[in-house]
Amino acid sequence: MIILLRKLRRTIWKTRGQFLAMVAVIAIGISIYISINTAFHNLTRARDIFYQDNNFADYYFQVIRAPEEISQKIEALPEVKKATGRIQQDVAIIKRDKSRATARLTSYNLPLDNELNRIQLLQGRFFEAAPRDSHIEAMIDSQYYTANHLTLPANITIIAQEKKIPLTVVGTATGPEFTYIIKDAGHLFPQPQTFAILMLPTRQAQKILGLDRQINQVLVQFHPGIDEKKAVSKIEKILEPYGYLTSFPRSQQLSHAALQGELDGLLTTSRFLPLLFLLVAAAIQFVLLRRMITRQRREIGILKALGYSNRKLIIYFTGYALAVSVLGVILGIMLGLLFAASISDLYAQFFNLPAAIGGINLKVIIYSILLSLGVGIAAGFSATRSLVKINPAEAMRPKPPGQGYHTPLEKWRWLWQHLSTAWKISIRTAFRNRMRSLVTFFGVTIAVALLVVSFFMNDAIDYMLDKHFNQEIKYDLLVRFSSPVGPKEIIYLESLDGISRVEPFMEIPVKITFHHKSADDIISGIIPESRLKTPVDNQGHQLTIPQEGILLSEKTAQKLGVKAGDKVTVEILIPSIKVEKKELTVIDLNYQLMGQNSFVSLSQAQKLLDENHAVNGALLQVEEAKIKSVEQELSDITGITSIISRQEEKDNIMSMLDSVIYFVGIMLTFAIVLGFAIIYNSSVISFTERRTELASLKAMGFSDREIASLILKETILPAFPGIVSGLPLGYIMAHLYVKTVSTDLYSIPVVIYPATYLFSIGGGIIFTLIGHYLGIRRLKELTPAEILKNID
Amino acid sequence: MSKILLKLIGVNKFYHMGEVTVEALKDISLEINEHEITVILGPSGSGKSTLLNMIGGMDRPSAGSIFFYDRDLTRLDDQELTLYRRREIGFVFQFYNLIADLTALENVELAANLVKNPLSSRKVLEKVGLAARKNHFPSQLSGGEQQRVAIARALVKNPRLLLCDEPTGALDLATGQKILSLLKKINEELGTTIIIVTHNSAISTMAHNIIRMGSGKILEIIANPHPVPPERIAW
Repeated sequence: MIILLRKLRRTIWKTRGQFLAMVAVIAIGISIYISINTAFHNLTRARDIFYQDNNFADYYFQVIRAPEEISQKIEALPEVKKATGRIQQDVAIIKRDKSRATARLTSYNLPLDNELNRIQLLQGRFFEAAPRDSHIEAMIDSQYYTANHLTLPANITIIAQEKKIPLTVVGTATGPEFTYIIKDAGHLFPQPQTFAILMLPTRQAQKILGLDRQINQVLVQFHPGIDEKKAVSKIEKILEPYGYLTSFPRSQQLSHAALQGELDGLLTTSRFLPLLFLLVAAAIQFVLLRRMITRQRREIGILKALGYSNRKLIIYFTGYALAVSVLGVILGIMLGLLFAASISDLYAQFFNLPAAIGGINLKVIIYSILLSLGVGIAAGFSATRSLVKINPAEAMRPKPPGQGYHTPLEKWRWLWQHLSTAWKISIRTAFRNRMRSLVTFFGVTIAVALLVVSFFMNDAIDYMLDKHFNQEIKYDLLVRFSSPVGPKEIIYLESLDGISRVEPFMEIPVKITFHHKSADDIISGIIPESRLKTPVDNQGHQLTIPQEGILLSEKTAQKLGVKAGDKVTVEILIPSIKVEKKELTVIDLNYQLMGQNSFVSLSQAQKLLDENHAVNGALLQVEEAKIKSVEQELSDITGITSIISRQEEKDNIMSMLDSVIYFVGIMLTFAIVLGFAIIYNSSVISFTERRTELASLKAMGFSDREIASLILKETILPAFPGIVSGLPLGYIMAHLYVKTVSTDLYSIPVVIYPATYLFSIGGGIIFTLIGHYLGIRRLKELTPAEILKNID
Repeated sequence: MSKILLKLIGVNKFYHMGEVTVEALKDISLEINEHEITVILGPSGSGKSTLLNMIGGMDRPSAGSIFFYDRDLTRLDDQELTLYRRREIGFVFQFYNLIADLTALENVELAANLVKNPLSSRKVLEKVGLAARKNHFPSQLSGGEQQRVAIARALVKNPRLLLCDEPTGALDLATGQKILSLLKKINEELGTTIIIVTHNSAISTMAHNIIRMGSGKILEIIANPHPVPPERIAW
């Protein structure tokens, strides 16, 4: 056995190129498995610890205003473990350059100890409830802090109740509901430059917002195992008299949903991606081992004649596959842990999880070892079955020439007669080595499909941004007023220098009910002849705003099971407004990639509110050179709570896309390596298997280039169909991927640009050519004299 | 006196194998005339195959010159050597080395495609007596038949020099005789110059010239004015 081991070592050395190519495929598969699983476990664990440490609430209730004591009343319910009352309201921040940002002002009862959704200090210090110098102290999320280059203590100005109020930011903090800070479900990415979480002691918040001893939000943690539905309706009843607006469970809490979506995506990826690589690795090993057995047929015969058992020989050949697995898994683990660290870093950027998310998961490592050894053993045992049949006496005689035979293709005589001899050789060889051709075909298919999927991620985001910023919205600035305004303000806006068009709108938070099911939504009342915002249907066709009735958001329609023609009930969720519920006919469904809201005509919106001429925002078209100055001018108006610049939003999002590019880059690299490994192996096998044949061609006067092109033909015969079939497979994989990561809040469109297919084809051709040329690089050393050596 | 086709002057060949230098050919000088059959005779290790490689443009000598007519092969680059093999040389190997995935006819056509004015592939197959088996794959042919295909493949390019390396080495006596007769016929009908390398001295009786080699040197060169017809050769 020791001699056989030595032989094994030499065989590995002799075939080191192929050996390493297979090791690379295994290593990539394992590294993906380890890194994603480790990241998944780390992220889950960090999240769970963070949630637990900070009493993350189970349910959220929104009211117009309720006395503070209401939380104690809710806490007294048997189902409720803890209830925390607080204020949460969006206010405007006036930045140093006078531009606007939005702050989600959130209040905290002191002491924080037992409250729900506690915050954790990151920098600076906690706010004091009543500082000596009568300043109002606040804390802010660290993203906004960093993005706006603040230094502690920082003075900032907010607008509340149409007054400018200075605050002193004394620290940065994070909490379980702020792991992924986005303003609403319409935003895919955080916008730390323009959106902040502003944390204040409850007393101060009440003073600023004129809500003396009152709150507008109750957070609840339930006892485990209770009937949640019943408890929720009990709480709703308690809150009813105080203008109960809406409630939602943790699963709909924005940052939690985003984090959960990411975790689900990771889990899917961690299951299917490594599997693809390991399958391909197993297939390549299978082909290579079978080839080795045919090649070493004589030696096997000799060893058998000497008395080596089948079992020992099987173990020997399987040993080759196991060596690939062992080296692959070692490299894979090292690479995987390295990637895990950098993926964790990326997530640390993305999600504000303060608990360290490093760490090695032993279980994942053990699984990866078992997986990779399993691949080696499976490939080894299945490939070596043919070894048993080798008869020593027969094997020691020289091998007869390979069986040539007519392929099915030859039935098309006309076609066949017009093929060059080189193509005939290649086609027959490809048919003769069916197994190898199939492995090449499927391997290339998978590699190209992965290329498509990698590019697709880029396409999808690009498409969404383009669609949103260049088609759905055409305004340059959007302003929102703190309370409804009349025609006078609109006329004022029109009079400002640089503004070429003003389209007033009315935005109303509503609850839409249909057949006992209800969903929260936002209704945008815009002018029917709007040019600055255009709703579209799911085909991308522009929808006209109906004078009466509603263009319901597709997501709400899905939740409620509504289709065009149905009548839905609309209830207004504005604290200060008490009006009757109204019924609206659904005219059509509107489809939006980013954001979700329903559209009505402005007059319809005003009717819903019983307000004739009021609007609460406007879309502005501004001459490009004057956008900045108009923004400056608008920010002096305290009645304006937010000013959104389309260009700035777009730039912000673009700056968040680094991580996407990182992932796409890694995926592309992996796909190319996979494709390369397959082609390289099949080329090396073709080359070594036919050394003599090729040498005799060389003797006949074939040039290196002609011989190379012969092998190339043989390689591309299965590879090019593989490239082509990889395209639809990539499309299907993109669909499946989107299906698993889509949530209520997000859905990614399956958009694949034609360029992606072109790039994927290009990638496929590139790895085919590189694999081919490296595989036959010894062609130059092949001397025609080689075939004569066995004589003299 | 016919024209000189090949002239070797002081050809040496060393192989460096690790730390030892093997002298495969030592100071070989010889001339081969057009239209003649020459047999290079020698035991294994005598350097006869190395010599054939040099003549066939598959290897280069370490010293000396090889003239094919007035062209010095040692001055040709790789590409020119490939063209030399393509245009001037036909090779026949001991183990035939046919392309397994091509039929007999296709194997011949493969070679025919290499040159501008090849002979007709079908006619050449007819000449070697295999017209009826032209659509068979090598694995469906006997050793003698495979060697005939190999000869046809070499001939179809209409080379001026046919190099045969132990062409009967893997064949039985009767089949071997037929192959030699075929070579003789080719020499007579097409005027192709033929060099046969063998360790079988019986074969040398069919040649016009016999070059005996041993330990990398030429031992003697014998002119044979009365070649024996191959049918009468036995071993």
